[in-house]
Amino acid sequence: MSTITGQAAGPSAARAVQKKPNIVSRIIKHRADYLYVLPALIVMLVVIAFPIYYTIELSFFRTPPNLQMKDKIWTGLSNYSLVLNSSVFHEVTIQTIIWTLASTVFSFLLGLGAALSLHREFVGRGVLRALLLIPYVISAVAASYVWKWLYHSDFGVIGAISVALGFTDEPINFLDNRQTVLASLIVVNIWKEFSFAMVMLMAGLQTVPDQLHRAAMVDGANTWDRFWHVTFPHLKGVSMVTILLLMVANFNSFIIPFVMTGGGPADASHIWITHIYQLAFGRQQWGAASAYAVILFVVMMTLGYFYVKALTRGDETRQGA
Amino acid sequence: MTDTTATRIRPVVKKPVDWWRWAGRVFLTFLLLFTVLPMAWMILTSVKSQFAAMQYPPQWWPAEPTLNNYFKLLDPTQRIGQDFLRYFWNSFYVSLLTTILGVVVAVPAAYAFSRFRFPGRNFMFFAVLVRNMFPAVVFLMPLFLLMRWMGLVNTHGSLILTYLTFGLPLSIWLLKGFYDNIPIQLEQAARIDGATRLQAFLLIVMPLSTPGIIATSIFSFIGAWNEYVYAYTFLSRDDQMTLPVGIQRFFTEFATDWPGLMAATFLMSVPVVVMFLVLQKYFVRALTEGAVKH
Amino acid sequence: MAEVVLQNVIKTYGNLYAVNDVSLTVNDGEFIALVGPSGCGKTTTLNLIAGLLPMSGGDISIGNRIVNDLDPKDRDIAMVFQNYALYPNKTVYKNLAFPLQMRKLPKEEIDRKVQDAARLLDITHLLDRKPRELSGGQQQRVALGRALVRDPAVFLMDEPLSNLDAKLRVQMRSEIKRFHHNLNATVVYVTHDQLEAVTMADKMAVMSGGLLQQYDTPANVFANPVNTFVASFVGSPAMSLIPLEAVGNALRSPEGWELPLSQLNARKAANSTTNKIVLGARHSTLKLHKAATPGAVPGKVYTVEPTGDVTFAQVFINGAVVNISLEPTARIEPDEMVWVEFDQERMHLFDAETTMALKAI
Ligand SMILES: Nc1ncnc2c1ncn2[C@@H]1O[C@H](COP(=O)(O)OP(=O)(O)OP(=O)(O)O)[C@@H](O)[C@H]1O
Ligand SMILES: [Mg+2]
Repeated sequence: MSTITGQAAGPSAARAVQKKPNIVSRIIKHRADYLYVLPALIVMLVVIAFPIYYTIELSFFRTPPNLQMKDKIWTGLSNYSLVLNSSVFHEVTIQTIIWTLASTVFSFLLGLGAALSLHREFVGRGVLRALLLIPYVISAVAASYVWKWLYHSDFGVIGAISVALGFTDEPINFLDNRQTVLASLIVVNIWKEFSFAMVMLMAGLQTVPDQLHRAAMVDGANTWDRFWHVTFPHLKGVSMVTILLLMVANFNSFIIPFVMTGGGPADASHIWITHIYQLAFGRQQWGAASAYAVILFVVMMTLGYFYVKALTRGDETRQGA
Repeated sequence: MTDTTATRIRPVVKKPVDWWRWAGRVFLTFLLLFTVLPMAWMILTSVKSQFAAMQYPPQWWPAEPTLNNYFKLLDPTQRIGQDFLRYFWNSFYVSLLTTILGVVVAVPAAYAFSRFRFPGRNFMFFAVLVRNMFPAVVFLMPLFLLMRWMGLVNTHGSLILTYLTFGLPLSIWLLKGFYDNIPIQLEQAARIDGATRLQAFLLIVMPLSTPGIIATSIFSFIGAWNEYVYAYTFLSRDDQMTLPVGIQRFFTEFATDWPGLMAATFLMSVPVVVMFLVLQKYFVRALTEGAVKH
Repeated sequence: MAEVVLQNVIKTYGNLYAVNDVSLTVNDGEFIALVGPSGCGKTTTLNLIAGLLPMSGGDISIGNRIVNDLDPKDRDIAMVFQNYALYPNKTVYKNLAFPLQMRKLPKEEIDRKVQDAARLLDITHLLDRKPRELSGGQQQRVALGRALVRDPAVFLMDEPLSNLDAKLRVQMRSEIKRFHHNLNATVVYVTHDQLEAVTMADKMAVMSGGLLQQYDTPANVFANPVNTFVASFVGSPAMSLIPLEAVGNALRSPEGWELPLSQLNARKAANSTTNKIVLGARHSTLKLHKAATPGAVPGKVYTVEPTGDVTFAQVFINGAVVNISLEPTARIEPDEMVWVEFDQERMHLFDAETTMALKAI
């Protein structure tokens, strides 16, 4: 009555051996799955793959200002050398680095401070968090106009306050001054995005186990020790992602410099993105602008590699039917 | 707690001042002022007359507050009002359509990325994510050409199509997280209970991922509402413009009307801020999802 | 009601054989238990029967109908999942009604069946609650109810009791047993708890590493394990296994002693591929002596565990730990030298090489 199957699978083992399915048959087997991603894929293809290809192509040609593609002339790498050798490019690169790093560092630090201060429960905490988040939610265009008004050279309230408080004798011209313009714009950017870092880090703080804090307290650690040895290590992952996202966003920001100063005065507030825009749509130098974009592209891909790595951390593949 | 009673055995230690806590309060106060004062000044300016705004030193508090700037913007019988309301409607229409289409496209894709193992899955997933890395401007030229070729320049279609791709990566990523957290056994149970794969998805999985759908919707909507670069490049006809671009026209045409501009800025921010305040929970979740794994 | 037949069923994940050439027949109305250690392929087998996974090879039929390519919904089965898989956003009532709605039953009939099932399981007062407002035991009943409402041909249950505490588990065990009795349904019940299998099932199928090791009544599996794996898996405490060497009509230990074998056992030992033998004995068949006794082998007491009714002694014999049950009154100390007597009738001999039970042919 009892069926017995030994450890050795016997002749059936031969039946069981299948040839390893090749890629084509796997694709055919999963053909239904692709239907789900197809719409997303088409949209992304049209709006991403095509433009990337096109940008790269344009970067090797001189294209007439009216963008008549049939009149374009092959120029090899000359667009690249044009961009890389121009002195404005070097100036703008330094400004881009300052803009990106300063915005990121200060936004992160303000966000960290806010997150730590808001971690403790108190009355009005939710309201406070919501208020601090408003600048992040409103459009950068709105923010730009509001700050442009605040910085106004004659009637700006910031100038008036600094005079009233006796810091300066007369209103400072924040935006129309090569020395102050970049810093002034960075302040606006920080105003707009520090609460993003705050929210991310607040979420990160919630993952710090309470017991650890209590254990550290029993061990006699003071507030700073507890932060440094317990809280901070737990925030590492979130901080990485937050800093990366801030870097990417800042590197890619366009609206604030474009709307507030248009890159001026004398290119002092240009960053790569606004500069590319100006080359392309201001001066119709499509080839140079494309070469510029490709360079930017490469930089972004490097950053992107780390971004995806940080983002997919712990996304262990799940098994499905 | 400070008064000592004779019965208490434990010696009473005076609680030391918690400097860190005080530093936190001071810091928060500073941040609050930094955040709120510019917005407050925007509102104060918007209720001033043109004349009152252009004074030095400024009127710290409007001497004669007036809502005239708002009336002007919202008055459909005047040209300014007509334009403003049209921009407002355009923005709303484009954002809403972007949001709806985004959900329709992102939901099945996120589901597939979460559940199926098809060849190329990882590559596609990363390709979609990497899209987030590229600034709009990089795509501007070729997209402009593409839109011209498709005849979509100066239509809202061009905007909706591009906005869709802004939102998609994040939406897919977010929703995938939600689907990852829905046990596969629920679908299996549904299929044994007599549902087809599609029914199991629509009747069991979809309702469970509503918070995710809300979260991604807010994001798409706010993103589309605030977008500037494409709208600025793709649209040149007045009647097509969305708010961020339209407002700029105000600025250049009525160059010195700061109170009017502040009022317009305020009105433009109202929908997204209200939406954010109402659905804050989902918004914050969307923002932090993925970065914070427990 | 229907019988379930698996023929040479295979499921592979890449190079891994999660289910390797499993054949078994579940007769109409039978309750069988699928047991085995974690990862041995129990859930996979169940999912194959349910049609939730595509097979890599073999045939499955339910009620004389090959179902290889049928959707789960067309197989006339119901399943209870390990974590219950109750729809969290539906009330208990809606959970129970869902399978009926999917089959497009009229509203009144659905209501009647749901109420019947709820009454049967004593969950009528819970119908308006959501799953998360229920205790583990209540959720378990709802999961059972969702399977019952439809009156399917076959019930599949995947470790339905493993999330419950010990007391509730014993209670639900007998309830499930009673349902099976009342409904006379065919049940395939997965568990990694051999005690559950032994107490509930008409037959048990022991799996390991994707292979079906033995499929028989619990009594037969207990009495005649086909190999050392089954021997050590079924029974609590497990059967003790001592590696020895066959020499003539006796088993010899490297420690120096010899255990003479009965004629029958000697014939069995002679059938082994090499002279390496594994001697198996259950705790209740062993006798403990405090002084040297002819036919008994020496060992050293390791631990003594009184449990109330019985006291278990663990004795080191030839490097292996041997469980022996004693009267609770037995006085015995760790590190004491003892002599253990084997019951020739009820000892098991396995081939150390193939691990299979030796037979006297
Ligand atoms: N989707 C999958 N992809 C790859 N391997 C899998 C997959 N599902 C299961 N396995 C493997 O198949 C084997 C059998 O898994 P199965 O879930 O059937 O085990 P089980 O006997 O139910 O164990 P448990 O008692 O832990 O539930 C395991 O080794 C498991 O790792
Ligand atoms: Mg299992």
